[in-house]
Amino acid sequence: MREIILVTINSIKNNLKSKILIVVFVCITLMIAVGLALFFCLLLIAPEMNKPVPDRTQIELYLSLIMYSTCIICMGINMNVFAFQSMTREKSRGNIESLMATPLSVKGIWVAKSLAVFIPGMLLGEILTLAALLAVNYIYFVPKIGFVYTNWIGVVGFLTVPLIYLFFSFLVFLVGLTGKPATGNIIVQIFLPVILSLMINLVIRQVLDATSWPFALANFGIAAVIAIVVIFLQPRITRERIILSS
Amino acid sequence: MNPAISIENIKKTLGKQEILKGISFNVETGDIFGYLGPNGAGKTTTIRILLGLFRADSGKLEILGQDIKLSETRRKIGFVLDADGLYDNMTAEENMEYYARIYGLSEADKRICELLNMVNLENRAKDRINSYSKGMRQRLALARAMVHDPDILVLDEPTSGVDPSGQIEIRQIMIDMAHEKNKTIFLSSHNLDEVQRICNRIALIDRGEIKLYGELESLRQNMSKRMVIIETVQCIEESLLAEIRKLSHLGLQEMKRNSLIFSPDQGTEVSDIISILTGLGVKIEEATRKEASLEEMYSTILKETESS
Repeated sequence: MREIILVTINSIKNNLKSKILIVVFVCITLMIAVGLALFFCLLLIAPEMNKPVPDRTQIELYLSLIMYSTCIICMGINMNVFAFQSMTREKSRGNIESLMATPLSVKGIWVAKSLAVFIPGMLLGEILTLAALLAVNYIYFVPKIGFVYTNWIGVVGFLTVPLIYLFFSFLVFLVGLTGKPATGNIIVQIFLPVILSLMINLVIRQVLDATSWPFALANFGIAAVIAIVVIFLQPRITRERIILSS
Repeated sequence: MNPAISIENIKKTLGKQEILKGISFNVETGDIFGYLGPNGAGKTTTIRILLGLFRADSGKLEILGQDIKLSETRRKIGFVLDADGLYDNMTAEENMEYYARIYGLSEADKRICELLNMVNLENRAKDRINSYSKGMRQRLALARAMVHDPDILVLDEPTSGVDPSGQIEIRQIMIDMAHEKNKTIFLSSHNLDEVQRICNRIALIDRGEIKLYGELESLRQNMSKRMVIIETVQCIEESLLAEIRKLSHLGLQEMKRNSLIFSPDQGTEVSDIISILTGLGVKIEEATRKEASLEEMYSTILKETESS
């Protein structure tokens, strides 16, 4: 455990020293999160709130979609910006090989490197999701109908999406370390739009209600599937395989 | 007492290629052991097996009598790999501290300071590595390799790309480590002059097989017995030279003006060479045995391998 914390902290520090990447990450994330919130607020929430009796179910749905999208996009962009760069740089410069020649375990290195990319994205994603929840509530809902929030919105935004990205980080680093980092990057590039459009489509087509437990369960299911794939693939992580793939 | 490194009949295949075909050698404590060989000979694979990065298909490897798979054994080895593995965005001090913590040293400030002093980087300790020259990086990598005071240093071309004064400094550090602190140094290098200057024992690997192994001085003496210089009265004509070359058992190595340097097969004496050359019409002025340099030993062995 000590080794994972040590390598994670060092890797986060190292990743965050790349100022250009941080600016790119923060700017893109803010632009998309704010743009998305504005889209929902101006086109859906504002008209609903202008009705004499706003439909609380609809409002909860919109709020849930804002929080879900903000969270999943923030973490997705974080993976896009940092995962590929971190894997490629550290493999090509021999950082990973040097670490593997120390007493650190190879799986500890893998977990630490995954967490180093996941944690900053998760923190920013959760902060923005919370900010969106509070902003939308205090601008639109609190003056008229009070604070809008359901437990399932919270579970999805603050638990299942981070869980999906935690296992997804492990998967991306597993593939990137034992194969070509570009392969890991392709998975990252595909995952975000696919998962987001799939879940939003399911909600729009009323297959799933974004404020209900089945939606939370569906997200848990995605996290579980990724976790199973990771567990199935993790014996592939060996020092030899990582070096030969460099 | 156990040798510092003991390798016995190690074999390794990567894909379909047999990289190591059963290599064996020992490195004794306090040795500066030169590991030589052309590109693709199997040097890096050997180093990776030594560091536990690759698993040998068969054979036995012991580091100070222990298995390399043990984390405790890894703590006894310091290394400088081909790619230095330093973090560009971090300072020299931060790089050193990181590795000190990995090896479980909590209060390593004094040690880090001493090592940075030793490699003459104390004034650049707080600078980021991306502003360092290649030579400075190599010196820092060497300091980092020693942060946990290992018994064995495995160095993969530590002076590659370093300017001459940097090379001298690194060599001196290696000599001090071996002679004053009784550390064992396993040095893989293409720089034959460097190996000749500082190593007491060597192994030469080619195509996955150890071709030469032992005390450098005794190997040189043995090889010197095999090197013969024939001084001729006149320059040898090209056609005659071609005929001499055809006599492969004479092992013509080189021709410089009126000198022919031979590395004859075992069983071919100096007198045999003289009589053959005389028979071909060569007028001989003098025949002497030549002291072999490491470079000559290296090229002779590789040529022999190639011809066989």
